[in-house]
Amino acid sequence: MRVLIVDDALFIRRTLKMMLEQNGYEVVGEAEDGVEGILKYNELKPDLVTMDITMPKMDGLAALKAIKKINPTAKVVMITALGHENTVKESVLSGASGFIVKPFVQEQVLRGLSAFK
Amino acid sequence: MTNDNSAVPLSHLFVFETKQMLEQLERLILDGEKSGGLKTSIDEVFRIMHTIKGSAAMMLFNDISSLAHSVEDVFYYLRETKPLTVDYSELADLVLRTIDFIKDEVEKVENGSGPDGDCSGIREKSREFLSVLQVTDRVIENNSSKSVGDEQKCQYDIDANPKSLGEDKTKYQAVVYFDEDCGMENIRAFTLVHELGELAQDIEYLPKDILENDGSAEVIKEEGFKIEFTTTHSLARMQAFFTKTMFLKKFHLEMVDTIDVAKPPKIKTIDLGDQIFESALLDDPVMPIVQEIVPHGDSKQSFISVNVSKMDILMDLVGELVIAEAMVTQNPELQGVTLDKFYKSVRQLRKITGELQDTVMSIRMVPLSATFHKMNRIVRDMIRQLDKQADLQIIGEQTEVDKNIIEHISDPLMHLIRNAVDHGIESSEERIAKGKSAVGKIRLEAKSAGGDVWIVIKDDGGGLNREKILSKAIERGLIANDDGLLTDQQVYSFILQPGFSTKDVVTEFSGRGVGMDVVAKNIEKVGGTISVDSVQGEGTTMSIRIPLTLAIIDGMKVKVGNSIYTIPIIAIKESFRLQDQNLITDIDNNEMIMIRGQCYPVLRLHKRFKVQAAATDLQVGIMVMVEVDGKSLCLFADSLLGQQQVVVKALPSYIERIRGIAGCTMLGDGSVSLILDVAGLA
Repeated sequence: MRVLIVDDALFIRRTLKMMLEQNGYEVVGEAEDGVEGILKYNELKPDLVTMDITMPKMDGLAALKAIKKINPTAKVVMITALGHENTVKESVLSGASGFIVKPFVQEQVLRGLSAFK
Repeated sequence: MTNDNSAVPLSHLFVFETKQMLEQLERLILDGEKSGGLKTSIDEVFRIMHTIKGSAAMMLFNDISSLAHSVEDVFYYLRETKPLTVDYSELADLVLRTIDFIKDEVEKVENGSGPDGDCSGIREKSREFLSVLQVTDRVIENNSSKSVGDEQKCQYDIDANPKSLGEDKTKYQAVVYFDEDCGMENIRAFTLVHELGELAQDIEYLPKDILENDGSAEVIKEEGFKIEFTTTHSLARMQAFFTKTMFLKKFHLEMVDTIDVAKPPKIKTIDLGDQIFESALLDDPVMPIVQEIVPHGDSKQSFISVNVSKMDILMDLVGELVIAEAMVTQNPELQGVTLDKFYKSVRQLRKITGELQDTVMSIRMVPLSATFHKMNRIVRDMIRQLDKQADLQIIGEQTEVDKNIIEHISDPLMHLIRNAVDHGIESSEERIAKGKSAVGKIRLEAKSAGGDVWIVIKDDGGGLNREKILSKAIERGLIANDDGLLTDQQVYSFILQPGFSTKDVVTEFSGRGVGMDVVAKNIEKVGGTISVDSVQGEGTTMSIRIPLTLAIIDGMKVKVGNSIYTIPIIAIKESFRLQDQNLITDIDNNEMIMIRGQCYPVLRLHKRFKVQAAATDLQVGIMVMVEVDGKSLCLFADSLLGQQQVVVKALPSYIERIRGIAGCTMLGDGSVSLILDVAGLA
């Protein structure tokens, strides 16, 4: 499964990438803000996008909406921290396929994403 | 799960990234304060705190994470409600304290020990700040008596018009359990309901208040989430739907006739525990792609962190290489032999060693900006403490110097800046009384000139007191008496003497921790010099001259008797042989040369260093005009030997620092040449 990671923190991108690549996912790209995320999505057409919510330039929610416009069946999993329930609600209404709560461990990510396999 | 293997580079990354963010944050806060309020950077601060929180939580540094979280809360509130009354300076204090705490903790991580600081004090502060904000806000809100709450309360209704059960519709009841620790169970339930809306109608669920009440997450965790719905889809389709839900641990699904949501049905339990995981893996035909993953070139990483000691070794090796190259290409045994092809190769070798050396040097070059911006913080904290007003102006922060040098000048700079604020800048009242603007000015400027970097700290404060320094100097026996011959600069440089830095000496200068003599020593350690200039009542200027790099310079070798000296090329203006008519001798027998209408003093190197010269007649030897710091002079030597890159080595520690000598270097034939410090000669 080809995954695009969108997150402004290099640390989180690295962590996710490592977790995913060691478990049979192919990380086809990384983006560090919403705008780049949309562009990369359009270019790479990944099967799955992990999307951070708080990011510079354009936040994850706006990027999600844009991606959903490009492809209504796009699978976007939001990465969120506790305490952002409202944003998560909104992202679910905007078509997010689910969300993972930070801080996460590998098992959580894999279990969560296994729903899309 | 993170194993030890992978945790090592991740913690490095965490340290690196967090430090960068903290620096950015500090700059934001300080800039924001200057331009009046943090308003414009609220989003940015929020985002950075959020990111730090996330990363710290991943590293299980709970204190950092919870502190960042509480500050994030404050900024979240600021961002969302845009309150009218915010004490921005208090807020800046809070964030800066947070930055300090996290910085300390991150440093602990960097040094290999775990973070163990206690942030409860700051966290409490942050909470207090937030509650004050909320209270004042509510007061204002009440005055305008507007209820915003209604909007948020409105419930998300899945299907507004319940339909009667059609023939092909079936009613289902489901209870789902989510994975432990997946977080936000109520929102997950909401997600489920939302997606179910595409397949089913008449959806009812328990607990009902999944959106309004975050406490419902607990209920769902313990008792599961109960849903009832009708659909035209088959049981298998609905099972597939539930299986595809993220973090679903298990679910019960059954067909029912009556609505009894509260009682969980007991049939058709599908446990999604480990089996779903395994079966998903087995079912997936593309599973063995693990080995096929192509490394992708578009990753963002464009830096590596390298151990500094490795860099030092590399630098040393390059230095040795330059010497070895000279030893080969200028080998005495080659003299007088025609070797065209050999010299062609030599040129190639020289070009490559040159490039190699430039590259290695540039790796070590670091802009002064980080060091300079630290000063911003110091000034800010001090003026708040001392109740003064001062503005720090930073110029030329992009100037690059060797990393080693940065480490050595950071403390002296800090000390000088402190002095400027503490003792230089007067209180606002005093300044106004003197006819100055109430806000003191401190200028921190860096520039490169020639082979050196100059750092100038200039304040427009009270200045030094010549008389007081003189009397102290006499008292300490540094000079016999005040004969009025000492220049101001000479007098002021007394403050750099050891023991001259105690508080009672000169009111304008007292040290905190280190004295001015320590500052001077530190700067000398990297081959730099410091000079003091001051005008009483108008301010003090400290000029620090540091070599661009400690390592390799272009030098001109000159012969004086049997010795070979090296003059840094960068200081040389011109070399010429003297014409008789240009020589002037003054009453004290000081020799000077008149060139293009300008007079330049002559310094005979053989006299200066007391060596036997081959040429004592100024018209026989060669004049090398050098310039440093605006001063020019002509050095007189026997002859020029040629240009060479030399590796600067410090003089051995058993030789006292000699004025006019910057260090020594080894020449191609293995002999030692002293490198002249032009500023010391001038």
